[in-house]
Amino acid sequence: MYDFLIFTITIAGIYAIMALGLNVLAGYGGLLNFGHIAFAGIGVYATGIAHARGWPVLVGIPLGMIAAMILGWAMARLGRRLAADYWGIATLAVAEILRTVALNEDELTGGANGITGIPGLFESVASPWDQVYFSAVVLGIVAVTAFFSARLGDGRFGRALRLMREQPALAACMGYNLQKIKSHAIMCGGAITALAGSLYAHYFNFAGTEFMLAAETFVLWTMVMIGGMGRTAGVLLGVILVQAVYAFVPFLRDLLGFGSDVAGALRLGLIGAILLICLLWRREGLLPEKLRNPA
Amino acid sequence: MLQFLVDALLRTADLALITLGLSMLYGLIRFPNIAHVQYAMCGAFLAYAINSAGAPLIVSVVLASILTGLLTLVIQLLVFDRLLKSGPAIAMIGSLAVSMVLVASVLGIAGSFPHMFSLPHTEPLIIGDARISHTQLWFVLTTLVLLTLFVLLLFHTQVGRAMRALACNPALADASGLNASRITNGVTFISGMLAGLGGSMLSLSTGAHVNLGYDLLLPVFAAAILGGLGNPIGAVAGAALIALTETAVTNINFGPLLGETLVFLPVSYISAASFLILLLALLFKPYGLFDREVRRV
Repeated sequence: MYDFLIFTITIAGIYAIMALGLNVLAGYGGLLNFGHIAFAGIGVYATGIAHARGWPVLVGIPLGMIAAMILGWAMARLGRRLAADYWGIATLAVAEILRTVALNEDELTGGANGITGIPGLFESVASPWDQVYFSAVVLGIVAVTAFFSARLGDGRFGRALRLMREQPALAACMGYNLQKIKSHAIMCGGAITALAGSLYAHYFNFAGTEFMLAAETFVLWTMVMIGGMGRTAGVLLGVILVQAVYAFVPFLRDLLGFGSDVAGALRLGLIGAILLICLLWRREGLLPEKLRNPA
Repeated sequence: MLQFLVDALLRTADLALITLGLSMLYGLIRFPNIAHVQYAMCGAFLAYAINSAGAPLIVSVVLASILTGLLTLVIQLLVFDRLLKSGPAIAMIGSLAVSMVLVASVLGIAGSFPHMFSLPHTEPLIIGDARISHTQLWFVLTTLVLLTLFVLLLFHTQVGRAMRALACNPALADASGLNASRITNGVTFISGMLAGLGGSMLSLSTGAHVNLGYDLLLPVFAAAILGGLGNPIGAVAGAALIALTETAVTNINFGPLLGETLVFLPVSYISAASFLILLLALLFKPYGLFDREVRRV
């Protein structure tokens, strides 16, 4: 039971970091990135490849963050001539291309088998405590990320992003280089998400393409949308709600005794239904973003 | 060579009807509906359910497409009309949610195992050196007939004129006394029906399975964007182009280029090929190959 609790907390923490990353570009900047999971995938594989090549495995974390920033820059550049909805589809395509490449380049990524045997962060610690330490590290990173993301959102950069979201023409008039702040937001959110991806690989000791399915991006979007886009506390609340649903389904499964297909359907359907209900009746999320009063 | 053309034609037929519906509807509602490919998946399962309940194949396909059309209309009225008031971005996220719910319901009811139709076994037709099965032939013919009918509807009837007017300039069309919501509802129904028909006919050869929609998502969007979203005829041309490229990428022997005898790209790169075309299209012709709209520069 305690194992399950610690497992749930750790996973929720990792997703919280990813969702905070998405919040920087989608919440503050209003950018429709439907391929956000590609950044996490880069983090996962950076750690995996660093391990497979025999490099010190912690090198994977900065490596993944740098690679994610390069990808973010490229994505932003792709968006230079595109309307928001077209860009959303383009990012979906980028994520799927990266997933297909990861699935097929056996020499680099291990193909469909993935890269196994990635060491955890606390290999030398005895059995129950390594999990506890790991979740403590994850929660610590969540706290630091949340603090900085809130600071970022209230600072000059966050205000510029919000202005770009609400009134792009006005933001341009005030002398902001929209392309540049867009690109910085994507790079920043991408780097945070890649960090979470690396943690994911360390936690499961495995790097594979299952982490990179488009459905995972949608889960991140659900977390950010139901909690409240653009507000750190809202995003964290959304993560907790979605993870609660995920943790609840196995219990229901044992209780009612249905098959794995129904369990999968229930997870997906509940998340979809929650997102839909939230969009229809409480579009700003449970904890709405607080915009400063102009007066 | 003939087999190559037949394969490309079959793939075009797979994509054309669904892309056509998506693009036509985009012209009126102005947001890319990601759930559209899931309507095709629902159509496939409805056709399977009706067929296994004992109805003849043609009846079940027709019924399934009508039911899918109704489903599309209901979702449009209950969900998207409300979400569109908050802007296209919200509607697009909403279409993600709708597609999750649709996939989840089908997965929960029918399971993840693919359902094959029990079709009578027939020998494939052999034309020259190409082989094509009877169901595939019917699929291509139906698609061609429907596309011809659609072109006639769009360019030679009063209804088609109204549709074009509404897509081109909603405010002016409304001021000229066109009933905008009735036309939009009609187009929604037709595009859902086309998606259901495309999906159910596709499932005759592949079987009805849950990932049918996801597998179609990117090729269909690539085709629609390539043809210019909102341009139905361009969508069909885009579908043909995507189909040709996909078939070419998997059939061309890259061996001579690399100094080996036989080098083919892995089949799983087919989907990557269409995404790559999509990205290139977005980079160089972001409004499609057939964009004639004048924008201020």
